[in-house]
Amino acid sequence: MAALVELQGVWKRFARDWVLKDVSLSVEAGEAVALLGPNGVGKTTLLRVAAGLTRPQRGEVRLFGKPAAALEAERGALLYVANPPAFYRHLSGEENLKSWLLLLGRRVRPGAVEEAMAAVGLPLARPVLAYSSGMKKRLALARVFLAEPRVLLLDEPEAALDEEGRKLLFEAIRRVREGGGAVLLATHDRAFAEAAADRGVVLS
Amino acid sequence: MRRILALALRDLRLELRGRTGLFSALFFLGVVLLILGFALGPEEADLRRAAPGVLWVALAFAGSLLAGRAWAVEVENDTLDDLLLLPGSREWIYWGKFLFLFGLLFFVSLLLLLLVAGMFYLPLSRAPALLLTLVLGATGYAAVATFYAGLVVRLPTAQLVLPILVFSVVVPVILAAVRATIGLAEGAPIAEIAAWWKLLFVFDVVYLTASSLLFPFVIEG
Repeated sequence: MAALVELQGVWKRFARDWVLKDVSLSVEAGEAVALLGPNGVGKTTLLRVAAGLTRPQRGEVRLFGKPAAALEAERGALLYVANPPAFYRHLSGEENLKSWLLLLGRRVRPGAVEEAMAAVGLPLARPVLAYSSGMKKRLALARVFLAEPRVLLLDEPEAALDEEGRKLLFEAIRRVREGGGAVLLATHDRAFAEAAADRGVVLS
Repeated sequence: MRRILALALRDLRLELRGRTGLFSALFFLGVVLLILGFALGPEEADLRRAAPGVLWVALAFAGSLLAGRAWAVEVENDTLDDLLLLPGSREWIYWGKFLFLFGLLFFVSLLLLLLVAGMFYLPLSRAPALLLTLVLGATGYAAVATFYAGLVVRLPTAQLVLPILVFSVVVPVILAAVRATIGLAEGAPIAEIAAWWKLLFVFDVVYLTASSLLFPFVIEG
């Protein structure tokens, strides 16, 4: 199997503090890997490094077999969901999704956005500033359903989600994996990690 | 081109719904014009002589309030990461943000032109030439402001640093625009004014080209 996400000997520091020290891991196509560890251990930093959003001081990051810094068109097949997920507060959930798809250069069939919103149980017209934390998580899941990414990076995806929301989250992870994609998720909930991922990597 | 336009239009929609930067700039403009009007008036000849300078001083300072808006919307919503993860070379993001800021500045400059014409007797008989000067001036200002606002977007002191960076580079644009506007107000021949337009055009092309090429490197975290 080909590794879609590969980190080799990654070191990352902020000011004088080394947050990541010589971290190596890979996530193959069809695989889900959980990053485990207590708060402040560097899980979010590792996800951001893996997404190519921040460069490590040392080490190599490869996505889809290419150096993360060299990605251009391939970034469209990568989806990073932060915790909490970020959306434009003065736009509705529907407007956020449509605007994002347009900028992504992704064409979806008419009605697909409305269907995705309905699938995650969200109203179309309500502005995101009136969303709860759980609703924002659901809107992020609607993005996953619409974008069908090949690499999905999730930061504490289970946080703020109710039982129904968690089912949607598992469904999103399952779809990405079955579509030949890779999932890397960060969590400190061991039970969730065991249920959602094939294997775990503990950061300490 | 479709994505550039979509980004600019989305930012414009957010700006109008958020009502933060544009309304502050308009309020600021009103105050500046009122103070300058009282300070320089009430003689018509004095106001008329000062009009081109007032136009560009007010626009430059209102522009400094608007300069950061192109990126502030991403910071306020924590969406900068999402923007940077969009596919393609990142020059298009610069062009989208530039177009948004240019649109804001041009709208403000049109409003300002009418206010200065009303309060400072700036003649509008050569309106097309005045509009061309505004377009060239706003283009140069927006080109520089979009670039530097992207450069400092992650700094906590961005709002303080940005006007210093922008003004230090954009001074030639403002000076050329003021000279062109003075020429138009005083009825100078177009050939004389065209020299300033050419200069503005060259500045715009240089700033836009350099900024869009350098932008992908400065926006990375």
